[in-house]
Amino acid sequence: MGEHAQNIYTLRPVTISRTLPQIADHRLFQLRLDNGCSWDEFGHQPGQFIEASIFGKGEAPISISSPPTRCDTLEICVRRAGKLTNALFEMGKGSRLHIRGPYGRGFPVDKLKGHKLLLVAGGLGLAPLRSLLLYVLDRRKEFDELILMYGTNNPDNVLFKYELLSFFDRDDIKYLYSVDRDDAGIWKQYVGVVTGLFDRTSLSPADTYAVLCGPPVMYRFVVDRLLKLGFAKDHIYMSLERMMKCGVGKCGHCAIGDKYCCTDGPVFNLTEVEHIKEAI
Amino acid sequence: MKLIAKKDVAAVVGTWSKTYSVLSPCMHASGDCVFDSFDAETFTLEYRKPPMPPKSSFLPQNETMFSVENGTFTPVIHHEKTLLFGIRACDLMGILQARSFYSRDMDDVYHRSHAEDTLIVVHACSWPQNETCFCTTVHSGPYAHEGFDIQLFDMGTDFLAEAGSDAGRAMIATEPFRDFDVEDAAERLSRVKHMAHNSIPIVSEVAEAMDILKGTGTNEGVWEHLGRKCITCGGCVYVCPTCTCFNVVDRVTADASGERMRTWDTCLYAGFTREASGHNPRSSQASRLRRRHEHKLLHYSQTDNRGALCGCVGCGRCSDYCPVHIGTLEVVKAIAEHIY
Repeated sequence: MGEHAQNIYTLRPVTISRTLPQIADHRLFQLRLDNGCSWDEFGHQPGQFIEASIFGKGEAPISISSPPTRCDTLEICVRRAGKLTNALFEMGKGSRLHIRGPYGRGFPVDKLKGHKLLLVAGGLGLAPLRSLLLYVLDRRKEFDELILMYGTNNPDNVLFKYELLSFFDRDDIKYLYSVDRDDAGIWKQYVGVVTGLFDRTSLSPADTYAVLCGPPVMYRFVVDRLLKLGFAKDHIYMSLERMMKCGVGKCGHCAIGDKYCCTDGPVFNLTEVEHIKEAI
Repeated sequence: MKLIAKKDVAAVVGTWSKTYSVLSPCMHASGDCVFDSFDAETFTLEYRKPPMPPKSSFLPQNETMFSVENGTFTPVIHHEKTLLFGIRACDLMGILQARSFYSRDMDDVYHRSHAEDTLIVVHACSWPQNETCFCTTVHSGPYAHEGFDIQLFDMGTDFLAEAGSDAGRAMIATEPFRDFDVEDAAERLSRVKHMAHNSIPIVSEVAEAMDILKGTGTNEGVWEHLGRKCITCGGCVYVCPTCTCFNVVDRVTADASGERMRTWDTCLYAGFTREASGHNPRSSQASRLRRRHEHKLLHYSQTDNRGALCGCVGCGRCSDYCPVHIGTLEVVKAIAEHIY
C-alpha cells in the first residue's frame, strides 16, 4: 500500500562497511546502502542528522560527518555513551542496522557561499561540523577565506587527527588548534580554552560567517566573543544538541521554546534562538 | 436540523455499534463514568466529565509502529472504524489541535489513520460539568464549531442533532431522527447555546497569564515554587487532551524480533530531555513544569490552535486530578497574581 511510502518513520537497512577508531570511546562508522547504491539519492546536506536504529536498543539521533560531495559512503562519528551507541560499538564490518533521515535543517551552505568562514568546533562538535568543513574543501572555489578553530580538552582527544594534520600542507585553510590542558607537555600549539584562539588570528566580522559546534558551555563563551568582535547575530550559526527521538517534530523531546530542534534546527542562527532562555 | 428523543438514543447507538467500534459513556457499578465500548446495559446519557479525554483513540497509550521479524521492520497501521459518541466540545478541540500538530509539515500516518477511521458525535454541554471547566475562556466550548460529524444539543426530552459532515447527515437522515422544522428552530438553538455559554464562568487569569508570559515573562519564583510542589507523577499529562508527546521503545520477544512501539511520555520527567552523555538541558523540575505550561500558553503554534486561545482546551482535568493542586487553573492564577 501507498501508506508505506508516506510513513515518515520508515527505516532503511544499511551495512557497516568500515569502522575506524578515533580516540577512546569514539569511532567513525562508514555505512553503505544495499546493492552498492550511491548516497546521492539520500539527499543529505552538511549539518543534517540521521536516526540510527538497532532493534532492542531503540533509536538515537546521530549527526552525519561526511559531506554530500563524497557520496560513496555515509560517515557517522559516534561516542560510546548510551544504549544504542554501546550496541553499535559491538558491531563490526558487515553488520546491519537501520537508519531514517536525513533530518533537520543543516548549515546554510548557499548563504555561506562567497563568504569568509570561521568554523569553531569543540570536542565531538567536530563530527557534525566536519560535514561542512569537507564540503567547503571539496568546493573550495565557491567560498572565500576559511579558518578552522578546534579545541579539545587534551591532546589525546583530538578527533580526525590525520585529516587535521593534512591541513598543514594546504594554504587554502587556516587552522588553529587548542587543548584545555597538556599535562604531558607534548602539544605544540595553543594550550587554553578555544576562545583563546581568537587572540591568535585576525578576523573580518563584517564579511565572515561564524559556524559553531560544540558543548553548550563553549557556545556561551564563543558567542560572547564573536559579538564583542562585531559579528552580526545572523552571521553566527550553531548546531544545537538535543535528545531528538523521532526526528520529524512529533515526539516533543527536542522542543526549545516554540522551536523543534529536529525540524527547525539543529542549525540555528543566534537571532533565532537568543530570546529562548533554555536554548544555549 | 433534526430531533431525536433521548429515550431512543441508546437504540440508535446500538445500531451504530454493529458497523463501528463505538466508544460511549458507560456508568460502571462503582459510580464512575468512563468512555468504553458500547454496552446497552451500562450506556448512559447522565454523565459528567469523564476522567480521561478520548485522545487514546488517536494516540493509544501504547501503539505498535512496526512489527519486527529477524531484524526486518514492517509498519503496522491499525484500521478500525470507530465512533466516539458523546464527547464534549473541549475534548474535540483537543483532538483537532493534536490532528493539526501531527499533520503539519510531515503527516504522521498512525495518527492520520485513526482520524480517518473515526466518526465523532459531540454532546454539547448545557452547563459546566464541574467547577474546573473553563472552555469559554479558551474558546473550545461549550459547543463545537467544526470537526464533528454530529453534534447533539440538550433540549429537555429531546436532543437537537446538527450534522457537521456528509457522514453525519446520512446518519441522522432516517428514523428515529425526525425533522425539526418549527419556524423558530434557529432561534431556539441559539438560545440554548447562549445559555450554555453564559453558565460557564470566565477565568480571566488565563489571558492575564498569557500576556505576562508573552511580555516580560513571569517571575522565576513562580516556577521555583511550583516546581518544588510538583511530585512528577505525570497525571496532568495523562489526562490532558493536548499532551501528545511520546517515547519510542522496543519490545523484544525473540532475538531480533518483536515490536517497535510508541508510548505516552511527558516533558515533566527528567529523562525526557536527558541526552546519552548525561547532559540535561532542562535539569530542574521548575524548568520542566515551566516548559509544559509555556508550551500551551506561550509557544503553541497559531496554525495548531484551531480557533482556540491556546494549547489548553480548558477541560480542567489537570486541576481535578493533580495531587498537589498545581493544575493549569492554579498555575495561571499564580502567574497572574504575582504571588511568588
